[in-house]
Amino acid sequence: MPIVFACAASHAPGMTAWTEAAPKEQAENFLGHYRRLGERLAEAKPDAIVALTVEHWANFFLNSMPTLCIGRAAYYDGPIEEWLRIPKARVPGDTNLAVEIIDACLDGGFDPTFSDELLFDHATFLPLHFLNPGMAVPVVPIILNTLTPPMPTAKRCFAFGQFLGQLLEKYQKRIAVIATGGLSHWPGEAKHGKINIPFDKKFLETLTGADRVKLTEYSHDEINNEAGSGGHEIRTWIALAGAVQNWQAEVLAYEPVVPWATGCGLVAFSR
Amino acid sequence: MSLYQLQKLIYHVNRDPVQRERYREDSAAFVKNYDLTEDEAKAALAVDVRALYNMRVHSLLLRPFTLLHKVSNEDYAKALKGLE
Repeated sequence: MPIVFACAASHAPGMTAWTEAAPKEQAENFLGHYRRLGERLAEAKPDAIVALTVEHWANFFLNSMPTLCIGRAAYYDGPIEEWLRIPKARVPGDTNLAVEIIDACLDGGFDPTFSDELLFDHATFLPLHFLNPGMAVPVVPIILNTLTPPMPTAKRCFAFGQFLGQLLEKYQKRIAVIATGGLSHWPGEAKHGKINIPFDKKFLETLTGADRVKLTEYSHDEINNEAGSGGHEIRTWIALAGAVQNWQAEVLAYEPVVPWATGCGLVAFSR
Repeated sequence: MSLYQLQKLIYHVNRDPVQRERYREDSAAFVKNYDLTEDEAKAALAVDVRALYNMRVHSLLLRPFTLLHKVSNEDYAKALKGLE
């Protein structure tokens, strides 16, 4: 079976760590949609989740920073943040699927790093908390470097997504693909708390529009200036847009939540 | 300028419990393990948020480091006031 579910979701830690700091209506709308999206994922009965994700100095440092890293571990522990208010858990991996993806990449023009041990921080664990409660479905994390330059270009992320989508569509198991990160935010910076609503809306409009290839036109500087250092995480969404290029996309929620310091988006894709 | 070494120090304190304990036991001795300028060592030891930020320490290394030193959101924002 091919890809049976796809979504993109923000992962601001405030969603769980300081939920109540947000205006009640915004929090209930966003998190309600997040939970319902988890129900939709469960209804799709995936055998595995491929997570296009990022990390925040959880595993990698500047002595060796992979542009693209695929986890092939038997399990992943997290979250590393004690303060996230999500219980620690062990998430099962899918080593066989990971190995197939890595081998296909090497045959197909992509050269990922691979890892047999990764910790999950909020970037991966928070979406899984909502989308994979109980952590029953095994996960293959694909970590893109959106943390520190140089980062993969939007064009390359989209191309990788296209490659991954074509590969998974031929796979014998049922696969859910999720992308996590963004939208605009400036974590820990002098501009912390700023949200660029026009940028976020334009991005969502392009993502859900007819010509998703336009997403490849985002430059590093444009993202950096308009969406902040945290906004670079939209690269995972761009990769997902390539993976399910011909699917319909629907914005389930967009909430610029100031206490969470993030433009928070949820997008579901369907055939 | 040795930003890499400065960030490495902060990364070790943030992420490695053994190194963090050594840092807590004797921070002055701990920073000598890194190739820092005098100003960098001073900023690290004083947890001078504004100075470390201006030295271009990555914000997602800096904020967890300051959280370990119980710097509140308000004090962190105040330290960065007026900066880009």
